[in-house]
Amino acid sequence: MSRNSMIKTVSVIIFAVLTTWSGIQFYQHRHYQLPIVAGPGVTKVVKLSDYCAGLKGTMADTHVFFLQGKEEGGKILIIANTHSNEPVAILSALVMIENARVEKGTVIIIPQFNNSGSRNTKPGDGYPLFFDVPTGWGSKKFRMGNRNASPLDQWPDPDVYVHYPERQLLSYLDVRNTNRTWPGRSDGPLMEKVTYAAMQLLREEHVDLAIDIHGAETMFPVTNCIVAPDKSMRIATIASMTVTAMEGFENHVEPSPKGFRGLSHREIGDYSDTLPFLLEAPTPFLDQPTGPKTVDLLLKGKDPFILSLSKQKKLFVPYDKSGWPMEKRVGQHCSVVLEIMHQYSMKNPDRAILVSNAPHYADLVKNGVGHYFHNPNEAKKGSLYFN
Amino acid sequence: MVLHIGIILAIMILAYAWAGWKKLSVELCMLASAVAGGLAGAFIKTPPIGALARHLIEGTFTYLDVILVFTTATIFIAIVAESGGVNYVVRGIIKAFYRKRIIALLLLMVVILIPGALTGAGSVSILTVGAPSALALGYLGISKKKVTAILFIIAGLSAAAPPVNIWAMIVSAGTAIPYVGFELPLGIPVIVLGTFSMLVLGWKREEKKELEEILKEMPEVPDKMTWWRVLLPFLVFFGLIIVARIRPFSFPILGLPLEFTIAGIIALLVSPKKINILILSRDTVKLLLPLLATMAVVGSLQQIMTATGVRGMISYAVISMPLILLYFLLIIIIPFSEGILTYGGAAIIGIPLVWMLDSIGLHATVVIAGLSLLWPLGDGLPPTALIGRLSVMMADYKGSYWSFLKATWIPWIVITIVGILMIIFSAKLAFLVRWSM
Repeated sequence: MSRNSMIKTVSVIIFAVLTTWSGIQFYQHRHYQLPIVAGPGVTKVVKLSDYCAGLKGTMADTHVFFLQGKEEGGKILIIANTHSNEPVAILSALVMIENARVEKGTVIIIPQFNNSGSRNTKPGDGYPLFFDVPTGWGSKKFRMGNRNASPLDQWPDPDVYVHYPERQLLSYLDVRNTNRTWPGRSDGPLMEKVTYAAMQLLREEHVDLAIDIHGAETMFPVTNCIVAPDKSMRIATIASMTVTAMEGFENHVEPSPKGFRGLSHREIGDYSDTLPFLLEAPTPFLDQPTGPKTVDLLLKGKDPFILSLSKQKKLFVPYDKSGWPMEKRVGQHCSVVLEIMHQYSMKNPDRAILVSNAPHYADLVKNGVGHYFHNPNEAKKGSLYFN
Repeated sequence: MVLHIGIILAIMILAYAWAGWKKLSVELCMLASAVAGGLAGAFIKTPPIGALARHLIEGTFTYLDVILVFTTATIFIAIVAESGGVNYVVRGIIKAFYRKRIIALLLLMVVILIPGALTGAGSVSILTVGAPSALALGYLGISKKKVTAILFIIAGLSAAAPPVNIWAMIVSAGTAIPYVGFELPLGIPVIVLGTFSMLVLGWKREEKKELEEILKEMPEVPDKMTWWRVLLPFLVFFGLIIVARIRPFSFPILGLPLEFTIAGIIALLVSPKKINILILSRDTVKLLLPLLATMAVVGSLQQIMTATGVRGMISYAVISMPLILLYFLLIIIIPFSEGILTYGGAAIIGIPLVWMLDSIGLHATVVIAGLSLLWPLGDGLPPTALIGRLSVMMADYKGSYWSFLKATWIPWIVITIVGILMIIFSAKLAFLVRWSM
């Protein structure tokens, strides 16, 4: 065998070994099932495909948790992991699912809205595949997903995405982004079916409020805030002012732009009677000018470059050496969600949504996120779900 | 941490230089740099050694869609060329417009602009209409070097042209700025700069021949070749794109690779001569291999740079610059970010840059439009040099790569000045956005 052939053969063998090794890791990531312990408040668990048959049997189908109170009242839908690379959302949703009790009204939670995106990676961006949240009984392992659904589930992409029904031209990638495909359609691409199913849920269940939970860069002006269209603005403003004054963290309100289509806070408001809100919490991991994209950065939010940019006044949120830990972000989201419910309930007593045993910002900062997760090995029969 | 990242960056540069010194190809130099950076990073678990292989392999998928488009589009155009279609078109253009040279130049500019404007990819312009345009420009008396320069500049502008500008779409998506109002801020500069570039590069007839003499020199075309045989595959391709735009909710999403494949099958069916598609595909892919390898390895390099923090440090360096210095350095930073990261440059540098410029009162949409004029220039710069290399290939230019790139200097400088001025005076140009809406 010539030297050249030898080099080629060895290269092919090395490549095959690396590809197989990586392939196993990708497979484990895509097929990892996250255990969710349904807490005492959960009364019913259905699938999103119950609202759009086209999702049945696909990777986009996902669990929908109902927490119904003894007394009739209003209804709220909480959507998490629209973008699966913003895991503050699913952590906040699970804190609610595993702990909250509803006294009046109904809380509906979709913890993994873009289920396909949570089983996707982000080539070029060097994310970890998993992250662990420490708890009192060990650690709880989560998939780190991507902003967009996996091309294994929805492909090919168009050369440009034409938004339904407004016809606005969007980036071709946005056809797999469930915060650009609202209000969706039953016979559209898979992610349009996901948002369509959620719209059907809102209509069929007569949902009063919808909250879409996100994380955003510290360099992004729309962060640490509630995004709301005109119809939700009053409640958003009062809720934001209240949490800022009473709970000791910064929050503001951003108006939902009328000319930017496909977003939950725009289309839910325009195509249903529900009042939509979108929450953003600062996530330094998502910023471009950071050090390595590690689990530590994801959970603690500490980064020397972001700290330096903060000193240069180039961030839109306060930032110091303590970073922006996950418990602060989850705490903010929990408090804002509870405050929006509270404000709505005060204005609409007959449609009130009263929730107990849900932690606020101070509780999460004190106890950590893992404190609120229950051991799946000790879960009662029938209360364990996998997503 | 900052010191560690600095050391990793230095090791990556040294590995690239070492591979270059060993006379390895650009792709292998980049691979050496990525592997060395990954191993250096693994010492401090960024990334952990167990994840290194995954990062290297995952990175190769970053531009998989681009790789598929290049492959299918190049096979499509190779079928058209093999059938005699390219030569037939060129003969027709020369016959009709040889004595109306300026009109011929401007028509060719429009022809090159359309595919890129519709798809957002200058490479599609080059791959679909590049070869016949290059031949036609050659017969109009323009040297191969300048023909290559024209292809590169106009195809680059086509990618920036509305309605589809992928850089603007990526930055808009990342900054939550609606992708609306770009028609005039992008359309006017593209038309003006395209016309200017075409005339500057093509004005001088370097070789004067009689039309009859040229027609005699041109390659023969098969007897049965007709206009409809040439046009049908292109009509099918652009028809599929246009139908998808006009009836987006009832027409299935095919994607560019399948659209090119369908057009290729049509070209094969209407070809007046028999084509061995397997041999043609094999030879075409062989020709494309260095470019495809570059795209795969750039993805790996980008992933390792992110996993080690090198990418973040570079992004930080850009964002931290004093504003005046930044304006001057944008003329280097933006094209080079495209040359290294292709569309990744728009995400890594473009998004934080637009946030920062927006926060000091500049108009984000016009800023993105201005930056969009600078990004295509980077498609001529190594290591990727996507459009530059395709232009050289389609124009069949045999000179050195740098000699062709040097020929673009006047349009390059003018495009840069226009782009930078659009950024600086974006607030005053905001009326273009309003008029577009």
